[in-house]
Amino acid sequence: MRRMAPTDADVHAQGATPLLRGAGLSKRFRSVAALEDVSIQLERGDAVALLGPNGAGKTTLLRILAGVSTPTQGAVNREERSVSHIGWVPHEPAVYRRLTARENILLFTRLEGVDSPEAETAELLERTDLARFADRPAGDLSTGTLQRLNVALGLAGRPSALLLDEPTATLSPDQVNRLWRWLDELRVRDGLAVLFSTQSVDEAGRYAERMVILNHGRQVFAGTADELVTRHGTPGTSATDAAERAFLNLVDA
Amino acid sequence: MTSFRAILGKDLRLLVRNRGLLVLLVGYPLIVATLVALALQGGERRPSIAFVNNDTSNRTVRVGDRRLGVQDYEARLSDEVDLKHMSPADAEAALRAGRVAAVITIPEGFIGDLQSGIRPPVVTVQPSNRSPIEAQSISRRLESSIYRLNQDLAQTYIKQTLDLVRIVVEGGDVAAFTRSGNILGLEKSDVLVRDLQRSLRADGHAELAAKMDPLLNFIVEAKVNLDLADVAATAIGNPIQLRIPPVPTGREPLSGFGFSGALLVSLALVGVLLGAAGLSSEREENTLVRLRRGLVRLETLIFEKIAFGALVVLAIGAVLLAAVALTTSLTIGRWALWPAAFIAAGLAFAAFGVLVGALARETRTALLAALMLALPLIFLGLFTQSGAASAISEVVPFGPAFRVFQTLIVEPTIDAGRFWMRIGQLLLLTIVFGVAGSIALRRKSAT
Repeated sequence: MRRMAPTDADVHAQGATPLLRGAGLSKRFRSVAALEDVSIQLERGDAVALLGPNGAGKTTLLRILAGVSTPTQGAVNREERSVSHIGWVPHEPAVYRRLTARENILLFTRLEGVDSPEAETAELLERTDLARFADRPAGDLSTGTLQRLNVALGLAGRPSALLLDEPTATLSPDQVNRLWRWLDELRVRDGLAVLFSTQSVDEAGRYAERMVILNHGRQVFAGTADELVTRHGTPGTSATDAAERAFLNLVDA
Repeated sequence: MTSFRAILGKDLRLLVRNRGLLVLLVGYPLIVATLVALALQGGERRPSIAFVNNDTSNRTVRVGDRRLGVQDYEARLSDEVDLKHMSPADAEAALRAGRVAAVITIPEGFIGDLQSGIRPPVVTVQPSNRSPIEAQSISRRLESSIYRLNQDLAQTYIKQTLDLVRIVVEGGDVAAFTRSGNILGLEKSDVLVRDLQRSLRADGHAELAAKMDPLLNFIVEAKVNLDLADVAATAIGNPIQLRIPPVPTGREPLSGFGFSGALLVSLALVGVLLGAAGLSSEREENTLVRLRRGLVRLETLIFEKIAFGALVVLAIGAVLLAAVALTTSLTIGRWALWPAAFIAAGLAFAAFGVLVGALARETRTALLAALMLALPLIFLGLFTQSGAASAISEVVPFGPAFRVFQTLIVEPTIDAGRFWMRIGQLLLLTIVFGVAGSIALRRKSAT
């Protein structure tokens, strides 16, 4: 009999109305189940990591929550009707490579219906440390800078939640640090909720308050890093190592 | 509307910024247009015609001071068309296979009939039914060639007849229309009769001399009337005379058919490829996932790509028209109707391309698929007029667009109802392909 894990929605049931709530989400691609009965919710200022091996269903879940894909079963409830208050940062940078960084941001702020797109573009360029690359074509930017532009586009229109699909997979350690410092700042200052997928337990433990672990499309854990170690871990030499072992115990089970 | 303007502005900016693509978009249609116009025009100028000669008698007919045979007819026709000697069966097969544009048949006993003058010989021209436009042009060309031959013959006959008339009046040796001998002539007859009348009067036969007056009157009347034969025969030979002023130099001759075809090929390729690339590049750059999240409605995005293609087609069409008007002999008019034609055709071409772009995952695949699909359909639109192929050409934008261009270039008068119906057909096709593209994109992006 399959072990029933508490869902993220169960874990996070108390508190204010969630910004974003996915309930009983399933997705099938023909006969293949990519996601089965997953529930998750995000509140203002949250930092949640979505963990799982390749093919676990992380991207599928993020795409459904972002409104890019529709679930086969289940529903997504957002605080606002429009999906615009949810920022989306896909794994592959979604930018026009022949437009400059400034033109990319300006276009998407206009599409978001921002009152003063020029001012918001200038602010986003500043906040993402892209001002000095503003007038370079996006195709000429380095991988790290391009990813920052990708994130900046996700933030166009001042969303209250940001969904990021493996945002640090192609970044160097210093670029990863800079990106998270900046996202933490937004989270603390503006109450931005962040849900990101990663394959690194270390990154999840470092930058997220909670983590949701998926395996074969099913949710197998939801809680904090400490709870992961307590419930599924074996004694290790360090907290990170213990969490890593707990994660492996779960996904190998 | 804001999102439509923003995306359209982005696409135009990307186009302007990509100088290589811009040069290609303007240069390519110009090159294609020139090549297609030359190819179609060249085909029009000297079409291949099967020549079937069933008169194997090798006889000649004497017309005036020369002898004419089938070879003379053939030589005259060769000035107009590229003649290929064939047997009746080979000619029929070549016509069916499209290797020749028409078959011209010289009947058995052609020269004999011409010589006898009892019945005129009948030359048969069987044009190909593959292209009624080309067939019409070839029929007209051969018709005018036969007409000119007939006219030459008529002139020779008239000259021969007038020579005979002159001999009848003046007298002399005759050798025409299979007759020969010496004729006294009316003038000498007049002198002889008057001499005879005078002799009779001198001999006291005044009564008998008076009886010769009606004969003298007839001779005088006949002479006067036959003097008019020259003028009358010339008038019969050339009831209407044709004067062709010299063609102004410095302009390349360009046919309406050639230019219509060139416009279709070049603009269709631009519209279809831009439609396909415009949409598929949104997917390839991964920006479609952003746009689809409520920022831009799918239908708006599809319509923007179609409008973008149509705008570029309009601009390039205007450049091509201006180039043709300035550098060739073709008269371009109806300037008020051209924008409607270009926009309607551009919308339909781009909608076709958008459907291909929605089905393909990558831009390269989309471009290749669009090219492979569009090319045969474009040529179907150019040359097909009947049967299943015609039906296909009516449900894709290329046939209707070609007929719109041809109407504006070739037709001496425009049937307004028919013209706007064609424009309506193009707009309907835009909607059909646009909706199909929208459904395809929705399905493809649902995963």
